Amino acid sequence: MKFTTRDQLKAWLDGLAAEMDLVAPRGVDGHVFYRPVASGDEVLFDYERPELSAKAFVFPDTEVFLRVEQRGKDVTVEEVRTERKQVIFGVRPCDAHGLAVIDALFLNQEPADAQYQHHRERTVLVGLACPRMWEGCFCTSMGGAPDDATHLDVLLREVEGGYAVEAVSEKGKALVKGLKTKQKAGDPPAPQTNADAVPVVDTATWRTLFNDKLWQRHGERCLSCRICTYVCPTCRCFDVVDRVVDTQPGLTRIERIRVWDACTSTNYRRAAGGHNSRPTKPGRIRNRFYCKFCYYPEDFGPLGCVGCGRCVVSCPVDIDITEIMRDVAAKGGQE
Amino acid sequence: MSDYEALTQQIREQARQLLSEGRVDCVIGYEVGPRGVTRPAFIYDAADVDRLVWNASCVHNLVTYLHDKKKPQRRGEEPPRVAVVVKPCDSRTINVLLAERQIARERIFAIGMACEGTVGADGEPLARCTRCGDRVPVVYDVLLGEPPNVSPPQDDYPDLARIEAMPPAERLAFWLGEFDRCIRCYACRQVCPGCYCTTCMFERDDGLWVDIGIEVSGKHIFHLGRALHLAGRCVECDECERVCPMGLPLSLLNRRLVREVDATFHYHAGREETLAPILFEFGGSK
Ligand code: SF4
Ligand code: SF4
Ligand code: SF4
Repeated sequence: MKFTTRDQLKAWLDGLAAEMDLVAPRGVDGHVFYRPVASGDEVLFDYERPELSAKAFVFPDTEVFLRVEQRGKDVTVEEVRTERKQVIFGVRPCDAHGLAVIDALFLNQEPADAQYQHHRERTVLVGLACPRMWEGCFCTSMGGAPDDATHLDVLLREVEGGYAVEAVSEKGKALVKGLKTKQKAGDPPAPQTNADAVPVVDTATWRTLFNDKLWQRHGERCLSCRICTYVCPTCRCFDVVDRVVDTQPGLTRIERIRVWDACTSTNYRRAAGGHNSRPTKPGRIRNRFYCKFCYYPEDFGPLGCVGCGRCVVSCPVDIDITEIMRDVAAKGGQE
Repeated sequence: MSDYEALTQQIREQARQLLSEGRVDCVIGYEVGPRGVTRPAFIYDAADVDRLVWNASCVHNLVTYLHDKKKPQRRGEEPPRVAVVVKPCDSRTINVLLAERQIARERIFAIGMACEGTVGADGEPLARCTRCGDRVPVVYDVLLGEPPNVSPPQDDYPDLARIEAMPPAERLAFWLGEFDRCIRCYACRQVCPGCYCTTCMFERDDGLWVDIGIEVSGKHIFHLGRALHLAGRCVECDECERVCPMGLPLSLLNRRLVREVDATFHYHAGREETLAPILFEFGGSK
């Protein structure tokens, strides 16, 4: 295996930070998030699962993508776009898997989502394998693993005294050229995995349970907040609005922004005129899970969940996707 | 120490009676899910009452769910009658909602719990509980448990004092740092029994006051605005702070105004059933 030390990694990250946007796990007021960092020293190497996924760096929670300026009769429209390269360091494999899920819609359907595509192309994912699965994690049930390299450009695994380096893609190979490594004998240790598998049932079975009591039972305690969708590495709904940022006589400046949206919020389905076609909590919760396990796979291929466990641990009223998957399997006779 | 097992049985018995005698359509209480987490439960059938529990992790303020029960379930019917398990802090929100004409007293059956305080996921008492002097709900139809004999602590707002001692620039920086972490998930608003506007002014489609961007400027307005909208209405159940996934100290904002309303009007939201909303009274005699 190719081996490197933490100090060598830090020196490499210092060099990357000087040339491009560097994002990495960082401690913020007692929380751990992927955040922009200016040097290797700011990077957290020992962490569990950042509380928010990495999606915000290719699909920002709020992004200005057009600037419109009107001066008298002249109107100019400018696309807002950064040309800088970006490295996300320390990505957990489930987060990279989550981006692959979003790719199925934003990249692989015509037309591709231009903003997303641009961010994806300018970004290299350097993963750090989880030594074990954390509270709520079930990636192994969703086709992933704590050390899954599939959706990453580079995968690092912690070994005695440092890290094993595996360049997965061409982008990854190019990026690690600047990293000092040496050959070492041996293999990285396998991560610890939880024994309990969560059953994933086919979409046809899901379709038989649309009117089941289960949705009432689980949905009624939902708060209609947006936590589960905002922490999720695959949830990708958004809203677009124009906002006036400046008005003077003869001059108006407008920004078009795209902002995350959430199917769990009460007004998600409200239409012009005020009608809301999904007015109840059970209906909205049902949609969230049908999106993940029925509609998205039928329409775009992959399942809409990678088993990161974030929504499981962060829902204030314990709406637990794994419990729902088990209930669906039991009711659908597939357990 | 509370005998949680005995109280669990009493809640179940109460719920069984209410449902089988047809006195209520639904009992809102607590259950423990498969992960061992205590959470809200809605029971419609006497056969299901054994799901109900009482333990030190019954932290949620279930009164917030009464907003979902204000309308008839089916057209032409009366709205449902609902029993709800309440701690002293939760019970104050019943009074707030009564005073604001949100719920009808005769449709609510309050199962009041004598309370020794609740604990968070870390097993430590919640901050709200260490400050709370109430051991018995202010409104109930039945009281379960023996009120423990503990002397009420005095909340002299030591945490607020720390913030207020900061020079203005530092205080602003503190709050902007907190708001920066906020993800605008609205859990704080959604869980709040006092936040029941059908269209929140901070989430209007036309962005009249603040647009939808998840940015510090909008979050700043949202949090200060929300706190002001709860002045004289917040009962300090601290649910907003408890559910915040980003750990914002929202209670500091709300309690700053609780203290203000107390000092100026000698008014405590929800203390009594008859209290009119402070904004109707403006300096009433209490
Ligand atoms: S649905 Fe929940 S467990 Fe699945 S990927 Fe999203 S946040 Fe993670
Ligand atoms: S399921 Fe939980 S996290 Fe998601 S909207 Fe409902 S209360 Fe919020
Ligand atoms: S619950 Fe916390 S993160 Fe969510 S909107 Fe409120 S303050 Fe922000």
